[in-house]
Amino acid sequence: MRARMIIITNNPMARDAISIREDCELRYTPVSYREVLLLARNAVHGGHKLLTHPLSGSVKPGETPYKSLAISKETGSLDFHSLSLIENCIQTCDKFPIRYENLPESILQDFQVVDSALIQSIF
Amino acid sequence: MKLELGYINIHDIQFGKVSKVEKGVLYVDAEAVKKIVLEDEQIASVELDIARPGESVRITPVKDVIEPRVKVEGPGGMFPGVISKVDTVGSGKTHVLRGAAVVTTGKIVGFQEGVIDMSGPAAPYTPFSKTNNLVLVMQPVEGLKQHDHEHAVRMAGLKVAVYLGELARSLTPDETACFETLSMKEGMEKYPNLPRVGYVQMLQSQGLLHDTYVYGVDAKKTLSTVIYPTEVFDGAIISGNCVSACDKNPTYVHQNNPIVHDLFARHGKDINFAAMVITNENVYLADKERSSNWAAKLCEFLSLDAVIITEEGFGNPDTDLIMNCRKISEKGIKTVIVTDEYAGRDGSSQSLADAHASADALVTAGNANQVITLPKMDKVIGTEDYVGIIAGGWDKNKHADGTIDAEIQVITGATSEVGFGYLSAR
Repeated sequence: MRARMIIITNNPMARDAISIREDCELRYTPVSYREVLLLARNAVHGGHKLLTHPLSGSVKPGETPYKSLAISKETGSLDFHSLSLIENCIQTCDKFPIRYENLPESILQDFQVVDSALIQSIF
Repeated sequence: MKLELGYINIHDIQFGKVSKVEKGVLYVDAEAVKKIVLEDEQIASVELDIARPGESVRITPVKDVIEPRVKVEGPGGMFPGVISKVDTVGSGKTHVLRGAAVVTTGKIVGFQEGVIDMSGPAAPYTPFSKTNNLVLVMQPVEGLKQHDHEHAVRMAGLKVAVYLGELARSLTPDETACFETLSMKEGMEKYPNLPRVGYVQMLQSQGLLHDTYVYGVDAKKTLSTVIYPTEVFDGAIISGNCVSACDKNPTYVHQNNPIVHDLFARHGKDINFAAMVITNENVYLADKERSSNWAAKLCEFLSLDAVIITEEGFGNPDTDLIMNCRKISEKGIKTVIVTDEYAGRDGSSQSLADAHASADALVTAGNANQVITLPKMDKVIGTEDYVGIIAGGWDKNKHADGTIDAEIQVITGATSEVGFGYLSAR
């Protein structure tokens, strides 16, 4: 099966779940939540479209370190709707202070589970 | 469709040898309730507790709050498609144990949601400081996965609420209220000069701990649809979400949706409360376009003149909210949106993650980033271990004197986006 979307994620649990799928290309990078949004913005500038909302989930930026989002596999001309959305989301993200430092491993795992569930809700 | 609600006022809950309602007191046979909860092999143990208004008690982390009700006439039963068969509910008679609630709590994930303080400065922020609460503190069996755990806790709360609701079946209500929605044609003929007003309710539908169920169906797998407003009084919509508890609708809030109540209160007077549309808030952007297209199409098809749109959550749902507002406005229908704000602790930041010029009438339910100091309570039902990690709490926010600094977003229902609360700027 040909991949129809790319999943950008910093979540190891989402990486493991997505890596076995044939309909997705995986871009896993162990960076911060905000840097995942920046990777998505760069991809939008490269002609990809956002397929999922970058602020999915009620766990706010700064509370969870994990973010997974989907962009189109195909590229075209710059999609201004995607650009506007990701820029808004980066601005919104910057409003929230980072609170997830020094979290125990079990809670990091729980954040991974929720992020992973949210990105897999699209399949 | 016509429904009569019969309210039986409850002013206290006590444990007793037999479950019954007597002179406004709900007596609960704890062993019978435990037996119901432990029917689910995924739950290893359950403790019951009672929290009453005014007590120095904190309940946390809260997963759901449910009002005990029972259908005494008409088709179907409470929570259709989940506890009862999927018959269409919303007509006949339903009895309500008003003033009583079942509250579920338990660790599903390590960051936890929902504080209910029964007294003190945080109590006015949650409507459930005014209810007599039977609290279920549940522990799962070893190794239970989060999805299964969430399901088990959700079902236990609903089953116990149904068990208690059954006690109201043969009681005489202290007060009754009638609600009726006419068919489109009948409504137009009866109220030719009143504006046709609708209610578009957006439901959380993103995934684990972010879900809502309609007649048992996961709302993220639905298209926008029409529901009789009285169906929600019989538990047609139930909550499966609690993350960022301030602006999530527990099942109790769906059962008592104040937008529906307020629209009914003016129905036939200055408006014709013609229809209710429910729609979702999915993660996938194409789903958002599809669902908002359908919501707008239904509003047009129903010949509505004006709608109230409520969202559930912040960020991702703001996009759905604005899409709904814009597309419904483009049909020539007036809109009012109801939301809360994440405007920073000083309230000066941009409140929503999306905006559009058509959103020119907005009701706010408050700023979720507002900071409050939660006092030390004599008793905690559940555990405070996670308050430092819940949304709105932060590291080292618990002081030596037992007080906790937190944003009001930790408090269940503090910024309810259907306006189910007691605080107001009026």
